[in-house]
Amino acid sequence: MNRIVPALALVAVAALVAPSGAASKGPAAGKNVHVGVIADVTGAAGVYGTPQKNAYELANEDIKSGKIDAGGANLTFDVQDAATDPAQVVNLMQKFMSDGQTPIVLGPTLSGEAFKAFPIAAKAGFPVMGTSTTAEGVTALGATVYRDSLAESQVIPTTVKRSKDKWHYKTAAIIYGDDNAFTKTDGDIFARELKAAGVDVVDTETFHIKDTDFQAALTRIESKHPDVIAIGALFPEATKIIQQAGKLGIKTHMIGGNGLNSPEMYTVAGPSAQGTVVGAAWYSGAKYPSNVDFVKHYTAKYGKGPDQFAAQSYAAAQIVAYLVAHGATTKDEMANSLKGVKVIQTVLGPIGFDGNRDVKSSPVILSIVKGGFTYFH
Amino acid sequence: MIAQQLLNGLFLGAVYALFAVGYTLVFGVLDILNLAHAAIFTAAAFAAFSLALAGWPLPLAFLAAAVLAGLIGILLDRVAFAPLRARNAGTLVPLISSIGVAIIIGAILRGIYGVDEKHFTTGGLDAAPVIHLGMVTFTTVELAIFFSAIVLMLGLSYVLRATTLGRRIRAVAEDRVAAALLGVDLERTIAATFFIASGLGGAAGVLTGLEYNSVTLDMGGPIELKGLAVIILGGMGSVTGAVVGGFILGAVETLAIAYGLSPWRDAIVFGVMFVLLVARPTGLFGKRALRQA
Amino acid sequence: MTALADFYAKHSRLIDQIGVNAILALSLSVSLQAGQLALAQAAFAGIAAYVSAILAMNAHWPLLASIIAAMLVSTVVAALLAFPVRRLRGVFLAIATIGFGEIVRVFANNLKITGGAEGLSGIPNDATTPVIYGALALVAIALFFLSRTKFALAVALVREDEYAARGVGIDVGAIRTLSLALGGAIAGLAGALYAHASFFITPSDFGFPRMEQILVWCVVGGVTSPLGAVLGAALLSILPEAIRFLADYREISNGIILLAVILFAPGGLASLWRRGVVRVRS
Repeated sequence: MNRIVPALALVAVAALVAPSGAASKGPAAGKNVHVGVIADVTGAAGVYGTPQKNAYELANEDIKSGKIDAGGANLTFDVQDAATDPAQVVNLMQKFMSDGQTPIVLGPTLSGEAFKAFPIAAKAGFPVMGTSTTAEGVTALGATVYRDSLAESQVIPTTVKRSKDKWHYKTAAIIYGDDNAFTKTDGDIFARELKAAGVDVVDTETFHIKDTDFQAALTRIESKHPDVIAIGALFPEATKIIQQAGKLGIKTHMIGGNGLNSPEMYTVAGPSAQGTVVGAAWYSGAKYPSNVDFVKHYTAKYGKGPDQFAAQSYAAAQIVAYLVAHGATTKDEMANSLKGVKVIQTVLGPIGFDGNRDVKSSPVILSIVKGGFTYFH
Repeated sequence: MIAQQLLNGLFLGAVYALFAVGYTLVFGVLDILNLAHAAIFTAAAFAAFSLALAGWPLPLAFLAAAVLAGLIGILLDRVAFAPLRARNAGTLVPLISSIGVAIIIGAILRGIYGVDEKHFTTGGLDAAPVIHLGMVTFTTVELAIFFSAIVLMLGLSYVLRATTLGRRIRAVAEDRVAAALLGVDLERTIAATFFIASGLGGAAGVLTGLEYNSVTLDMGGPIELKGLAVIILGGMGSVTGAVVGGFILGAVETLAIAYGLSPWRDAIVFGVMFVLLVARPTGLFGKRALRQA
Repeated sequence: MTALADFYAKHSRLIDQIGVNAILALSLSVSLQAGQLALAQAAFAGIAAYVSAILAMNAHWPLLASIIAAMLVSTVVAALLAFPVRRLRGVFLAIATIGFGEIVRVFANNLKITGGAEGLSGIPNDATTPVIYGALALVAIALFFLSRTKFALAVALVREDEYAARGVGIDVGAIRTLSLALGGAIAGLAGALYAHASFFITPSDFGFPRMEQILVWCVVGGVTSPLGAVLGAALLSILPEAIRFLADYREISNGIILLAVILFAPGGLASLWRRGVVRVRS
């Protein structure tokens, strides 16, 4: 208990000071801190879990080199593959919780997996942080459950407002995936927000994850002539929707949420993607100092730019490093420190946690252009 | 709009049919459901991607990838099925060994290509001319894919009907023991069957990859299950059945979407299959022996 | 004793998974013993899981009541399914039942009461290890006694030679329906237990990949052997954790191990056991 008060005081002071790149000597200097990470590196969600693993490996390097300040502690992120198997997620959670040396677990990759594994941690007062589990109700699972990824419910309202202010649309169509929690939430929230904004939803179409042909649905949408099309999809489906829309000659404005936040959108979807508005939790071109570095080094190390999954994982690493640097090395210290967090500088910008332990940060509204994104104006 | 939807269904159905034909060939000859078929489908797509990236013209890459798929098929038989044949292991056990091989192929592909989606950026796919014919729109790529599928299936039908190899395959499918007694080289014929079946499955993979300009590790998943529905619709062991079944499936799926029933689309497809099976327990054209067009 | 308690604290979830998987495998084994490749067990389990979860969460039914109700539903569904598929054999039956599973999955995805794709969260976590293994023991004992009855003989004859069975006056249709219903009941038990051990269920927990997994357990264990089914489920459930040290090579090792085991012992692990017993005796 005596170490918590000075730690919290340090947190409060540090929040006012801009971070430097050099590793300082914190209360945990020299200690080994082993953080567990559960990610779907292989399996159906491999395309999301792999960038997460990449980000943590980069973070491990950056801690060693001092680029991330862990206060001199020997902090490592141990990424274990759950192979998109909920049974493995649960077993890994139990393993990390009971190995006696892990103060916090980051991940898993999918919200469904979080719903199975977080209650176990919550029951034991064990801190966990989701970096991509954006479904509603995740953080409500327990008082030690945190999340650094902006949920669709935090991103889409702003997306709808900003795009409506610019384009003044009166009618809309929504196309979303109905068999995936993330995309289904997207569809529901778009419907809610568009209605609240006074927009008439003239058509709603659904698709399944891994679908490749959207022409039937798009043809139906086109026949209703909406002013804007809202896309509730993840990257693989979103690119095909946009590309096939272009092929069918659909020139309607399009908007989307976090799922479309990948710098490869234009490259893959083609010129039809130009001008699509995307509401996101992170922008690769944002000028936060650690972000510029992160994007540069990730691209150099892995041959392609980081996506939002990678960014949110790296940010979680930064958050944990920050807490470790201020002395939190056990699960109880970690849980307490998280409670007291005010603001931490990350690649997502300055973030904190609200009363529900969700991330406190502003969504960024982007527009797809050749080569990536620009800010939407 | 209905015309466009039907056309979409036709294109979709052609590829389903091409994939299903491979399933049905192997089943007709060996009574085995080859669950590595979808993995070979995917491997061929990746192979074509690599060749195209290396500068090969698309039609050549397509042929080479299909041939490669055929060779993998022969290897699959040697490794996973032939040893079990020798030990009279029945028809359920080979299903499991095919799952094992499918996992291995998937792991190898991931090791080579990583988890990211691959795209064909050559051959002018992006700028494929779009044709408007009255009420419908399609690209030349789609047309080429459709015709390739038709040509391949006609070719198979010809081989089965009019060549010695075809006769041998049909003999083995009809009665393996009798065929052997009559002097048919069983192992050679089976190998040839796998070469053709996997080659066609691989061709379907390349065409699918080209159609949506997307090659991913899990592209075989949806088609694997739908392929099962197709062969049931058409009748196990019947090539005509597989073709007809493929088109029916494509049409049902597309029309389900067209009438706003997209969330129920898989249930409708399997529901139709189920009802048909109950009415005709061996499928539309079913007969256990191998039939050709 | 504390070493045991320690081990349990580290692996209790895996131990529970093995128990539930063993019951699932037994549900398929029952069908396979009747020669029926009825691949609907995952769907039966799914239906029971949802029924049990909904009763427990919305109507606050106690654990035992919700499990029994769920089992009743899955048994009835299985018995009803037996009717349309009564003329189907072999791979046609397999695919028809896979299709049935897909239809169930789509319904689960689209209905409000099941939570759709977002699943059902907050299921009371009261299927503890003693409950799960108690259920497994009950099923094992019940099947053991069943194997000593004339019913079991009839089932075996139907599997070996359906025409002979008919010739001896066995009502093949009834046998097939009963075995499917029994499989449905056992799968229902597994499904309800799964729900009460998972906090959260979603339609994809009970789809074709899961069905494939159960089939692999049974065949690797030994198609007509209930002991084999349990062995197969147990070993293959432990495998991912046992070979975790292989890291990136885990995926390919899965395939190689599966292939190797089945090529080495096409009769399943249970057949190795029998072979070993024979050798010891002689």
